[in-house]
Amino acid sequence: MNTSNAVTFRATLDSLSDIRSFVDRRCRRAGASAEMCHAVVLAVDEICTNVIEHGYEGRDDGDLRLRFEASRDEIRVIVLDRGRVFDPADAPRPDLDADWRERPIGGLGWHLVRGMVDDVRYASGDSGNEVTLVKRIGARQKTGAT
Amino acid sequence: MDVKVNTQDNVTVVSVAGSIDAMTSPRLSEALDEQLQAGNVNIVADLGAVDYTSSAGLRSMLASLKESRRRGGDFRIAAVQPPVFRVLEMSGFTTILKHFDSVGDAVESFSA
Repeated sequence: MNTSNAVTFRATLDSLSDIRSFVDRRCRRAGASAEMCHAVVLAVDEICTNVIEHGYEGRDDGDLRLRFEASRDEIRVIVLDRGRVFDPADAPRPDLDADWRERPIGGLGWHLVRGMVDDVRYASGDSGNEVTLVKRIGARQKTGAT
Repeated sequence: MDVKVNTQDNVTVVSVAGSIDAMTSPRLSEALDEQLQAGNVNIVADLGAVDYTSSAGLRSMLASLKESRRRGGDFRIAAVQPPVFRVLEMSGFTTILKHFDSVGDAVESFSA
């Protein structure tokens, strides 16, 4: 079993399950609750799915590098890809109050990412996209205690 | 992910087990679409054994909801587990989709 905190996956849909297992194991090891682990796992899944389906569209030679960092206060997952440049701030926000007839199929991935973690940071460079997801452990525990 | 289909009278129960993501959701969409094309427009998705869904699962469910209602039926869900319910709720799906605690209640709702 790989115990490193930085792992590279092939950017294909069949990697998603391994990506989720990697993030879930690291979250649990960091002492995060099941609910918190689920939130981080889902956010990472959505980002990786986006990169595979859109960032690397038409290519099967892409890769996804994940780095996991945990401190007493927060969990960070950094997702790096070398696909098409995409700033999450450009993702349109869905209208959640729309009638079922008006709801488009799709377009919820980034909405879920924003809802599941406390902060989403984006940087782009020559090497591609770097998205950092931050989930605060301390903040959530304090909220839960009050 | 596994999908099993069981039609009795005018309701088709599609039982799903495992994780729904962008890799597995096409199989779910295919199974649901097959039922709709066959005229089985009253569908209950039994999600009792689904431990995870990403937005890919939401796409499958919304497509089935739209198609079933267009054909005069409905797509309803049952026995939704907390991590899946959380995703549905956050996406506003719990207001557009009828959901029931048990498969029996969901099936019965079609004869009400």
